[in-house]
Amino acid sequence: MLALRLLWRNWRSGEVKLLAAALMLAVAVVSGIAVFTERLERTLVQESNMLLGADLIVRGSQPHNPEWSAQAAEQGIEQTTAVLFSSMVYAGDHMHLASVKAVAEGYPLRGQFDISTVPFASRPDQIIRASGIPAPGEVWVDSRLLPLLHLELGESLAVGDYELKVTQVIIREPDSASPFSFMGARVLMNMADLERTQVVQPGSRVQYQWLLAADNTALTAFAAWLEPQLSKHERLVDVESDQRGLGRTLETGRNFLLLAAVIGVLLAGVAIALAARQFSSHHVDQVALMKSFGVGAQRIRQLYLTQLLLLAVLASAAGLLVGELIQRIVAESLREVYQIVLGSASFYPYVISFASGLVCLIFFALPALWFLPGVPPLKILRRELKVNAAQLWLQIALAFAAVLLLIVLFSQNLSLALSVIAAISGVLLITAGLALGLLQLTRRITTNAGSIWRLALANLQRRREQTLVQIVVFATAIMLLLTLTIVRTSLIDEWQLQLPDDAPNHFLVNIPPHDVEAVQQMLDEKQLEREQLYPMVRGRLTAINGSEITDEQRAASGVFNREANLTWTDVLGDDNRIVAGQWWNSWQRKEEGIPGVSVEAELAQEAGLVIGDRLTFSLGGLILEAEIASFRSLDWRSMKPNFFFIFEPGALDNYSPTYITSLYLPLEQKSFINDLLRRYPTMLVIELDRIIDQIRTIVTQVSNGVLLVLWLTLAGGCLVLIAAVTSSIDSRKQESGLLRALGSPRRLMIGSVWVEFSLLGGLSGIIAVIGAEILLVSLQYWVLETPIRPHYLFWLIGPLAGALLVGALGAFSCRSVVNTPPAVVLREAS
Amino acid sequence: MTSNVMVEARSVGKTVTTFEGALTILNQVSLRVTAGESVAIVGASGSGKSTLLGILAGLDLPTSGEVILNGHILTALDEEGRAKVRAENIGFIFQSFQLLPGLTAVENVVLPLELHGIKNSRKLATDFLGRVGLEKRLHHYPQQLSGGEQQRVAIARAFASQPRILFADEPTGNLDSATGARIIDLLFELNREQGTTLILITHEDRLAARCERRIELASGEIVSA
Repeated sequence: MLALRLLWRNWRSGEVKLLAAALMLAVAVVSGIAVFTERLERTLVQESNMLLGADLIVRGSQPHNPEWSAQAAEQGIEQTTAVLFSSMVYAGDHMHLASVKAVAEGYPLRGQFDISTVPFASRPDQIIRASGIPAPGEVWVDSRLLPLLHLELGESLAVGDYELKVTQVIIREPDSASPFSFMGARVLMNMADLERTQVVQPGSRVQYQWLLAADNTALTAFAAWLEPQLSKHERLVDVESDQRGLGRTLETGRNFLLLAAVIGVLLAGVAIALAARQFSSHHVDQVALMKSFGVGAQRIRQLYLTQLLLLAVLASAAGLLVGELIQRIVAESLREVYQIVLGSASFYPYVISFASGLVCLIFFALPALWFLPGVPPLKILRRELKVNAAQLWLQIALAFAAVLLLIVLFSQNLSLALSVIAAISGVLLITAGLALGLLQLTRRITTNAGSIWRLALANLQRRREQTLVQIVVFATAIMLLLTLTIVRTSLIDEWQLQLPDDAPNHFLVNIPPHDVEAVQQMLDEKQLEREQLYPMVRGRLTAINGSEITDEQRAASGVFNREANLTWTDVLGDDNRIVAGQWWNSWQRKEEGIPGVSVEAELAQEAGLVIGDRLTFSLGGLILEAEIASFRSLDWRSMKPNFFFIFEPGALDNYSPTYITSLYLPLEQKSFINDLLRRYPTMLVIELDRIIDQIRTIVTQVSNGVLLVLWLTLAGGCLVLIAAVTSSIDSRKQESGLLRALGSPRRLMIGSVWVEFSLLGGLSGIIAVIGAEILLVSLQYWVLETPIRPHYLFWLIGPLAGALLVGALGAFSCRSVVNTPPAVVLREAS
Repeated sequence: MTSNVMVEARSVGKTVTTFEGALTILNQVSLRVTAGESVAIVGASGSGKSTLLGILAGLDLPTSGEVILNGHILTALDEEGRAKVRAENIGFIFQSFQLLPGLTAVENVVLPLELHGIKNSRKLATDFLGRVGLEKRLHHYPQQLSGGEQQRVAIARAFASQPRILFADEPTGNLDSATGARIIDLLFELNREQGTTLILITHEDRLAARCERRIELASGEIVSA
């Protein structure tokens, strides 16, 4: 095949290597990110599915239709069942309203139970991962049940009419957030024992769960088939419907990674375009020669297109390999450092990545090459003949089209793509403007500088178009790296920083009023850092100024759809601040019998509330009307008990509250929970430390991936520089040969090359730091809501690192210019 | 007699538009070259030699007049049609050799053969390189060859396609006189062997003298033929 032979010869002569490298990089960036993101996403979904215990659950008040089971089995879907109910459990004279879960073999389909023979175990060596479910006749229970019932492991526990032996305590379980688990301690038993307990009778309040798991496609189809057949008592639950917050986080994370990928591709694209321009300018003569041989334009177009396609396929395949390697390295490091094993990716990201190689070629390279077949044959005789090369604006327009297409391809979201294009254009314009300004400034400053500087600046000025492209490219890459380095630390550390070391890590809930003083005393004796004990009453907001809650208000906040925790206090929490109205010490009731309430400011804004509005609450069927006295801003991340509604003291006296507080419990004192629960069996302890750990792991995981991608982006920037230098190498050689023939020392050449590129890198660094600071300030102000801090070190590191990196790279790329003897240079150039 | 005419120009004119108005490069040029003939087009710089060569070879079109090459009216054909005529009839030798720097000597010779789909193109190319005395330089790149050697590769490339007409544009222009003389010998020797029609541009008298006929151009017009 002639095209293949021609391609091989072009490869050998080095003319397509840069093009191939840039294409490969583009595909590697895309595939690395796309495959890694999908694996991560799948893993996160699976991890969250572990919280659910399955990929999909049918929850209902009746057992599910057995025919559905047969249908599911036919499609290779894993299934099992669980029955959840509240029931009194007894041990000797003690009893507790437990949250019982009877599970069948195979439960859970996703995730595992962590169990132990040591109550409240926290050390890894005390905890084991259960390989099944409790054997018939045995139960596993929450640690807190043991002190509640004065029970030891190995002793018997009665559930209904049946006595079961307690063999393990549950440290962690999937689906811990199911409705019955909040108040009562968990008792996990084998489904085979359920009937013997005689607990579940007709009319009992029971939740039947049918758990399903399979690979996505089979399950999606099955769910679509099943959903219309469900009765109104049955509900299909997946992670997305169960945990909307996580779904959104995943989406945001994916979009962020996608942006990084697009910027990587864009940089590689610039390198591709430059390499293609260089390739085409080298091939003008070859095409003219071929035409003089009598080869027609059509044939020439076909020959070049085939070569390019072959190149794209080979480079994309290599890119896929590199991308695969990268994502595997990251995945492996995650496994080693965080013990997180990522699932495998589907075929789709590979296909997309491969396609993006073709997109890059078509949109970045082809415009520069399209005119080639139109080169007039006469060019072979008359070198001065002008050739109509592609217009720069057309190339830029096509580049944007490529980015648009790629984002749409990835996210199937046109508005996202358009806003990215707008943002990129804005950044590019501003960066280019800054770069131009700085270049002018440098020229003024160095008017009287030595010849090395003058030569270097002359080079930068003469190739102004290229210089601008390179500064923009490097500034963008360095800016992203700097920003992410900070954001990454910010996300993990600043959040931690904000949480003092002794930030509360446990919530104590459901403390009866008569135990309040004693609990306070017990905590204070231990000298534990704690918050005040807030009384708490559950109530639902039913009307505003006498009108029922509207659908818009319901949509604005979840608070309107469920019962909220209401409290009263005269002491404003540290993290609470009155933003409008007055706190109780200066507020006066307008009407006797209508107490004041302070509302959380964001909620008030979303619901359109104003000071003085009347709110109607329903508390267990009793109606309470209150007037808005103030709005409060507060920090939900403070890990302290916080409330949407705080009433004036005494307003809720008649509604039998329980109390809540939060405290910091060092790891070594964890067994204190045991004592606490033994003394106050009805109290509930929520362990936040475990949740915080999990969040930190996920954030670290994702940001590491992004950082790696940004390094690849910087590699893209380097390729652009190499491409630009290579395209100017002939004229550089000629100039250098001439200057050296005229007696300029080699030192001048080397020096000017270093100065030229270091200056380019330094300017990029300065722009990058300015950009990064603006980005960071916006992020800190609007997103992270952390205090704004300038990063002084950046102002040193950014320009310096830029100057060093780009200077060295430029000097390396130009080594043939300064190292070749002038005679050879002049002969080659002629 | 007409069937023996290989190239014919009838009242060929070429005018280009410049900033200073229309500029006539060729004016009413008519000539006939018969098969197997060797013709030198001579003239001072700017006399229109290269333009005429380009038009005769179908690389360019005249503003007026007609060019007929081996029975094909080039001026009536589009670029694709002219390319076909070139492929079937024409070979070129250039002043600046026009070898592709990334290809070895043999690959440079092979390229047009491959493009024309000629079988055994590599063997043919090797043979011709042997005939120009470069059998030991097959795998050298142009920059590893001297000027004379590079022009010999170009000659091998031109003759390997066995064209009916060979156009040579100052074939010795970039060579010293001794090397130039050897190249002239080689060119005419192969030309005789192959029976090719040769049209060359030169301002070297000794090269023009080897041709059977000499056409002199001045200011775009034939002043002697």
